[in-house]
Amino acid sequence: MTRTWRQRFKQLVVRTMDLPQDVIMDLPRITMIGQLHIYIENHRGLLAFSETEVRLMLKHGQLLISGSALVIKTILPEEILIEGKIDKVLFINE
Amino acid sequence: MKNPWTNLMTGVVKVKANGKGTERLLNKLMKANVHIWDVKRKDAESIIFTIDYSEVFKLRQAVRKSEYKVSFISGSGGPFFLKRLKKNSGFIVGLLAFLLCIFILSNMVWGIKIYEADPATEHEIRKELDSIGVKVGKIQFFLDSPETIQRKLTESIGRLTYVGVDLKGTIYHLKVVEKKQPEEVIRTGPQHLVAKKKAIITDMLVEKGQAKVNVHDYVTKGQLLVSGIIGREEKPEVVSATGKIMGETWYKATVKMPLKTRFSVYNGDEYSNYYLTGGGFSLPVWGFSNPTYKQFEEETVSRPFHFLQWELPIGFKTKTQRSKEIIVREYTKEQAVVQAKMMAKSDLEKILGEDASIVGEKILHERIENGKIILSIHFQVIENIATGLPIIQGD
Repeated sequence: MTRTWRQRFKQLVVRTMDLPQDVIMDLPRITMIGQLHIYIENHRGLLAFSETEVRLMLKHGQLLISGSALVIKTILPEEILIEGKIDKVLFINE
Repeated sequence: MKNPWTNLMTGVVKVKANGKGTERLLNKLMKANVHIWDVKRKDAESIIFTIDYSEVFKLRQAVRKSEYKVSFISGSGGPFFLKRLKKNSGFIVGLLAFLLCIFILSNMVWGIKIYEADPATEHEIRKELDSIGVKVGKIQFFLDSPETIQRKLTESIGRLTYVGVDLKGTIYHLKVVEKKQPEEVIRTGPQHLVAKKKAIITDMLVEKGQAKVNVHDYVTKGQLLVSGIIGREEKPEVVSATGKIMGETWYKATVKMPLKTRFSVYNGDEYSNYYLTGGGFSLPVWGFSNPTYKQFEEETVSRPFHFLQWELPIGFKTKTQRSKEIIVREYTKEQAVVQAKMMAKSDLEKILGEDASIVGEKILHERIENGKIILSIHFQVIENIATGLPIIQGD
């Protein structure tokens, strides 16, 4: 119950103060450049990494990036830049 | 994100990690704030990634007490470059040796060119240069400066009027001006011989022409001595009169000679300091003490180093201090008279011709004034008094 209350409060703040949602709500911010790059901020760690699939932990759920010849260009505690040919970006909610 | 250039400066390491769930290792490193890039999967159990050389210890910490096997594949950037340089130090040594060679060769004497000298003089100049050490293959710093060489050459070779010594790069260029030996003036035109000055004739040698005077005659300036017109009066013949008419002439000289003279002379003590100079600073390399001469003359010679044709901003400086002494010379009156006479005589000999000789001298007057002896001396000189006077024909 408390969680939903907090969530609602945050929603309210975002709406009334016109702030970007990712700042307040700990959502991932994903930037893609065509199929070549994908840049994800606010992730919570790497779960699986292979040439065809990268699985990232998010605050709620996971993010699955599938493609081919995937390489992690940079990885920092909150950001990750993946290069390759990206075919699919999929949110997985438990 | 960090700049890859600064990463290259501090060095980067390519790492291969082996083990199950290598993603967890990456997460661990991420948490430890390690900057990771270029992560690639090698196979199911291993990944390759790159980290900063300075963060290798963090990787070690993360790997410790875990089942991962980590191996370093390669390193690049600053520290690794230096390591490789050390391994291949032969190259560096070779490079330095090469530069040193060029440096030494650029400061050597590579040639001596002598212009406008006849072979005999050139040979003499080369011999003289040899003896003062200017030779092909010598290092320039240990040689005299061009000005000094110039002075030494002109002093030691009498035949030279002037030598221009110019050091261009590694080659000495010597421009020579030789003394022209006075050529015998052959007068073919008809002439008389007349007296240069008043004299008493002591000796006569007439080669051509008709003598108009005799030995022991007193002649005045411009008087006809030997006539160029010979033959009978009705049919005169004009010739160029030649001959030597020696006559006694008189010179009066006044000389002053101080009784007491102060000279400053070098007593032979000298001390040299050698410096390397560069950008206004000079670093002593030899000769560190400062001599305590009471009176001295200081000479500073600085010359820049060369590299190929360029002058380097560094150079070599020699500072030489020569000790001086004041010497007081004191003459008695008799000594002063002798010295003064000698001085007057040598002065006179300078203005007289080669075939002249001083036959007598007489002190007319001597007095001492302000510590100086003043002498008036009368000299008797035998010299050739004949000089040609062209006969202008047409009357």
